[in-house]
Amino acid sequence: MTGRYDDLSDEQLGRRLAAELPRRAAPAHLRRAILGTAPARTPRLSWLAPAVSAFAGALVVILFFVSALPRLVPADPAERLVRAVVSEHTRTLMWGARSGDVVPAGFTDLTRETGVSLARAFAGDDQLTLVAADPVYVDRRRGIALHYRDADGHLVSYVAVPAPSVVVPDRSRVQIDRYRPALLRDNGFATWLWRQGDVVCLIVSDRVSEVELETFKDYFRRMRAATEPLSAY
Amino acid sequence: MGAGPDFERDALTHLDALYNFALYLTRHSAEADDLVQETYLRAFRFSHRFQPGTHLRAWLFQILRNTFFTFYRIRDREAAVAEDGVPDWDVPMFHDAPEEDSQASDAHTDLERAMRKLPEEFRTVLLLAEVEGLPLEEVARVMACPVGTVKSRIFRAKERLRGLLRDYETK
Repeated sequence: MTGRYDDLSDEQLGRRLAAELPRRAAPAHLRRAILGTAPARTPRLSWLAPAVSAFAGALVVILFFVSALPRLVPADPAERLVRAVVSEHTRTLMWGARSGDVVPAGFTDLTRETGVSLARAFAGDDQLTLVAADPVYVDRRRGIALHYRDADGHLVSYVAVPAPSVVVPDRSRVQIDRYRPALLRDNGFATWLWRQGDVVCLIVSDRVSEVELETFKDYFRRMRAATEPLSAY
Repeated sequence: MGAGPDFERDALTHLDALYNFALYLTRHSAEADDLVQETYLRAFRFSHRFQPGTHLRAWLFQILRNTFFTFYRIRDREAAVAEDGVPDWDVPMFHDAPEEDSQASDAHTDLERAMRKLPEEFRTVLLLAEVEGLPLEEVARVMACPVGTVKSRIFRAKERLRGLLRDYETK
């Protein structure tokens, strides 16, 4: 038995494809977004480059001396890890995304570099936009960091590091749906900390007030549900 | 140097075609958005590499397809999910599909459903050659293969398409 498509010659099938296959127009927001990415054509100021260069040089010198100042290191491995991740977060805040064009597929390279693989990863949504993915070295451990920017422009960092010995402090645990991550605060930042197998995961944000806690919980829900880190080695 | 205003304007005239192509590749409107946006970002950034007088549309399609492979590694993914070369429609490429994507996943016609079932190489060759009307030489450039291969893929893609359509008909 032959159907109506069997009778079609190659040319006819081609014509039907051209005529009948639905074509979707790009949404308006996409056009706006693309126009927003078009390079600005304002003329460069001739004095700007040397000034920025001098400023950056001075900043590097200052940061070098700041990092040489003695610091109190917490004894608890979890707190130490939180402090290190908060430092990484503040570095990203100061320097911006180091590799802004990192997008999902770059994760394979990151896995090679860090020993952490992401079976699934939160790629962002209407509230959070993935802006960078970087290898990190925190508390003498290699890990992977995904940086997001929320709708209000706050940077939110997700960090996963293999750390089998780190224990999630029970006293700081908070019930969020079926999860019980610990909420830890350090240096003016709030951090969720939990374990997924051998990997310790952290989310850092500057949403520290009680009012903002609900928002921060919501970020946890989104990332926790969509991200699955594994120790690759 | 970055893109000039003329280049941007010309490039944006192909936005709808690129978006449509991206939608068929990614099968997900949000991912198509990302893919198209990244394509334009790259096109603007590397506009100095574009040779005026050549086919801008084919150049943009080529960037889009390369970006698609770079970001989403569809070849690996499809090989993993489909032994017969026909990928499952609902498999998300990168993250969990949040919910049903009304724009991308509602195939309204058998033709559309069948197209989405085709392996990427077949889908792309039909979209570029038959739907977008690109000359075979340009399709070959986009797909980085000889023109003869393009012809053969078109033939095999149509065979496969007919088979799928026949299945839908009997159901």
